[in-house]
Amino acid sequence: MSNLLACLLLAMAPDAAAIVKRADRAVLGETTTYTVRMTVQRPGKRDRVVEMRGFKKGDEQGLVRYTTPPKERGTAYLRSGENTWLYLPSAAKVVRVGAKQNFGGGDFSNGDIFRLSLIKDYDPTLLGEEAMSGEACFKLELRAKNRSVAYDRVLYWVRTDGSFFPVRAEYYTISGKRLKWLSLGEVGKLGGRLRPTVLAMENALEAGAKTELRFLAIEDEAKLDDRLFTPSALEKGE
Amino acid sequence: MRRALLGVGLLALAWAPAGAGQPEIELGFENLLYRTARTRLNRDNLLGLDPSEDLLRGGLGVKQTWGSARLVAKGYLERRIGSQDRTEATLRQAYLQYSFGDGLTLRAGKQRIAWGSGFAWNPTNRLEPAKNPLNTGLEQAGSWAVRMDVVPASWVGLILVAARDQAAAADLPLETQGRVRRIGAARARFLVWNTDLALVLSGGAGGRSLVGLDLGRSLGGSVSVHLEGATYRGAELVPARADRRFFRLAAGLLYLRGESQSLSLEYFWNSEGYDGQAMAAYRRNLDDTYAAAQDPRLPPPARQAALDAYRVAAALPFSGGLGLRRHYLHGSWTRSSRDSRWTGAARAVVGLADGGLAFTPGLGFAPRGDLTLQLDALVLLGPQDSEFRLAPIRSGLQTRIRLLF
Repeated sequence: MSNLLACLLLAMAPDAAAIVKRADRAVLGETTTYTVRMTVQRPGKRDRVVEMRGFKKGDEQGLVRYTTPPKERGTAYLRSGENTWLYLPSAAKVVRVGAKQNFGGGDFSNGDIFRLSLIKDYDPTLLGEEAMSGEACFKLELRAKNRSVAYDRVLYWVRTDGSFFPVRAEYYTISGKRLKWLSLGEVGKLGGRLRPTVLAMENALEAGAKTELRFLAIEDEAKLDDRLFTPSALEKGE
Repeated sequence: MRRALLGVGLLALAWAPAGAGQPEIELGFENLLYRTARTRLNRDNLLGLDPSEDLLRGGLGVKQTWGSARLVAKGYLERRIGSQDRTEATLRQAYLQYSFGDGLTLRAGKQRIAWGSGFAWNPTNRLEPAKNPLNTGLEQAGSWAVRMDVVPASWVGLILVAARDQAAAADLPLETQGRVRRIGAARARFLVWNTDLALVLSGGAGGRSLVGLDLGRSLGGSVSVHLEGATYRGAELVPARADRRFFRLAAGLLYLRGESQSLSLEYFWNSEGYDGQAMAAYRRNLDDTYAAAQDPRLPPPARQAALDAYRVAAALPFSGGLGLRRHYLHGSWTRSSRDSRWTGAARAVVGLADGGLAFTPGLGFAPRGDLTLQLDALVLLGPQDSEFRLAPIRSGLQTRIRLLF
């Protein structure tokens, strides 16, 4: 009987793709400007704290400029499709860099920062419901559509209360090893709506290593020209 | 023109209208200490160098933004201690920039142009003073230039520059008399098939007209590659060889692991560089002019002329910033501690023709987010007769401190 009820509830739930699409926009909108503080924690080391101003348009275009501390000010990353560039203010130079690497010396990859969308790269399957971090959640399994993405498989927990706020994501390699996990919390009002404001990525390769992104300001539906996401704009500076 | 621009800049800073952003201020201290040597380029110390030459600098930099407008000014006061005890002021940058939305940006004044994808060498660049051939990591001074960036669409951009500079290497205790160049240049860049493609044209007074091509692409993972090449007619090194076409090419790769580790390699080919025979002729010329400068049988004006010719020839490896030979390799490695406070670095330029090596290990320390200290050593190694060992410098120690507000 209880199995039958569970099956009925699952049948009534939104399909997996719809859940992931809603969850993709839970933190940042389609076109967004934001200010974020990144704290990189390493056991036995002083925290590294960097503040950044970010611009995002769709899932393909992103630009992040470091604003503090002063020694890192002006450094900027640009992502446009499969292309990533880095601006080095000390050399006044834009250099093209590989796309698959960690961002800012922390535990997020460039893809985690700039893409923030899973539906484009993964095929989702709804596994059921499960409580996670004290919240009732949909549990989904996402499989990579191709080998160009950073992770082969993602387990994803999204709140069932209609907010579709993601609560946790676990990232696995092709060999099935859990590589990293992301916790999303501290729901608060930013940019006129409620959303998770803190994203914390932990690394299975190093106990105690953690990188936290704390959003300080967000403006959804900002008007951003495509020409902002070009190497010329990087050279021009903010 | 320069004074007017600086005056406008200072007035703008003093005026600081409402809506201005917080000014970014940088105080710097640099000490470039060299141990000199008597080599074939400095026989009997004809260059007049002291055993140690010290360049002591105090620097100031200001960046102020008002909406779409920006002013940047950076310079230093240098006290030379050694053969020439003198103090002089140098501007590294002083420019005004204004952006008309995302599609058009104008910039005028002394500025870094960073023309080309190459790291240590930029074959398409005739707009800026050359990088220091013995330490490519030192901050470069800019050129007096007017620059216009036009971005009609996200996949295409056009940069037009008119610049005046002197192609002499800075940061060395030698006097290098580089040519004054007045160059106009255009760079059309495209993003096609996930590849940066740029076509370059440049020409003007004091520099050859050139056609260039610049490519950059990520290879996936953490590696990206670049290729920058140019062709022009007539040599820039002596002898002039006016009717011959020459090529320069820089090809390299960059491995970047977040911001904690980087490794770059770059190969440079300069088809007008000297082969073994030409290098032998260059050395013979040094020997002959030296002998003439010392010959008591010659009248004093002839000896002075020979001495001047010797000095010009001795400065040749440093005046273009490219070296004299055809094949070079540049390698650079950096690694930061996990809290980003310490950074180790090593750079090397290897002359593939003669095995000479300019090696620059360095250590950086940032105890706070607004304070950085950098210490680089410069060591010249290789066979006695190799290009880098001919330099009248045995070693160097370069200390830089920056305090940022």
